[in-house]
Amino acid sequence: MTSVAPLVHSWTFEAIGTVWRIEAASPLDDGVREQITGAIARFDSEWSRFRADSLVRRLGGEGGAVPAPADAVAMLDAYDALDTATAGAVNPLVGEALARRGYDADYSLVDRGPVSAPRNWRELITWSPDALSLSEPALLDVGALGKGRLADLVLDLVPDGPAVVDAGGDIAVRGVTQRVALEHPYDASRAIGVWSVTDAALCASAINRRAWGDGLHHVLDARTGQPVRRYAATWAAASDAMTADAVATALFFDGGPRLAAEWGAEWVRMGTDGSVEWSPRCEAELFS
Amino acid sequence: MIRTTAVPRPIRVGAAAASVAGLALLAGCAGQTTSGSTDAGTSSQNPPASADAGSGSSTGSYKDGTYTADGSYQTPETVEKITVTLTLKDSAVTDVEVTGDPQARETRQYQADFIGGIKNEVVGKKLDDLSVDKVGGSSLTSGGFNAAVKEIRTEASS
Repeated sequence: MTSVAPLVHSWTFEAIGTVWRIEAASPLDDGVREQITGAIARFDSEWSRFRADSLVRRLGGEGGAVPAPADAVAMLDAYDALDTATAGAVNPLVGEALARRGYDADYSLVDRGPVSAPRNWRELITWSPDALSLSEPALLDVGALGKGRLADLVLDLVPDGPAVVDAGGDIAVRGVTQRVALEHPYDASRAIGVWSVTDAALCASAINRRAWGDGLHHVLDARTGQPVRRYAATWAAASDAMTADAVATALFFDGGPRLAAEWGAEWVRMGTDGSVEWSPRCEAELFS
Repeated sequence: MIRTTAVPRPIRVGAAAASVAGLALLAGCAGQTTSGSTDAGTSSQNPPASADAGSGSSTGSYKDGTYTADGSYQTPETVEKITVTLTLKDSAVTDVEVTGDPQARETRQYQADFIGGIKNEVVGKKLDDLSVDKVGGSSLTSGGFNAAVKEIRTEASS
């Protein structure tokens, strides 16, 4: 396939709990790999809910103010829009709600019941280019868009020229076209469609992975602490991966399609009843 | 914002009103702007003050003015919050305004603007039969997570 031809260099590695693959026209030499490894390590040390020594764990235990991580403003501004669009279903303080359902740092997977995330998170968190502060201890979780943000950061570190960053199914594409299969949420050997992506990112979210006992999975409604049940999988394409990731999350809730329109993202989503919806200008090919 | 002054009104308005006791007046009167119907349920009689849904008394006729009620209702995935403002003249509704974010997808306007289409069932094709560069799906899960799931399954079956 012509679209693959220029991507002669590749690098596969594991980070933040998933397999990454970078393909590029330019060599991915040791210097580039060090930079990418370093950027991922920094992001993880700031935002990982699963690391006891991370910044968000420290804020979760003590609250207080810290120098703002580089991605704080971009991500929390996006959460602000996500919360507004979904009437509070997406909330960056959902960390405790996730942990209580068993998706905690120890992967206890023991359900201690639903709790809602603080609705007034905008009053509890203050963010600016200089400082990030929590007026009381609360556990940040940037799962709605963090991996997309990191994929963007990694793609920026790949030398100029055509390149693809695949962060375990969230894909950022530059300078080439990639045909991406949309994995069926109930049968990983099948695709419900194919989407050609050029100079854009395609991110997906589904309730089939990161799922554990009694219908629990990692996409919670922050207002109730309950797992979403109407949609099984979502895909969104946007100019950058953070936007695509955020829209993919929002699509589990009412308000997602509207936010996608505001942000210029196209999307496909599959309901738990097997039905599939798509955005007005979506160019994905779907198999009926 | 959705603004309605006459039929046809968005489906969501009717659904919302039916679900919120304090908005019974809206259900009874929306679209009947000249009928003078006055037998609807509860409402505040203190125009133009804002009133909580369900408060106020009902005497069968209403003073002219603007009435506001807030309502919320649970959908399968969301808690929808809306504010309904009614304008009454001679006990008839002359204007209905619904604000907030009635975002549920069943709103016709919403579907037209934000949703391109729907198929009831998409069976898909075998990945092996497709020529693709990548698979876009939920991310592969971490070793720690998978190990924990396995451990639970083991405990559950022992």
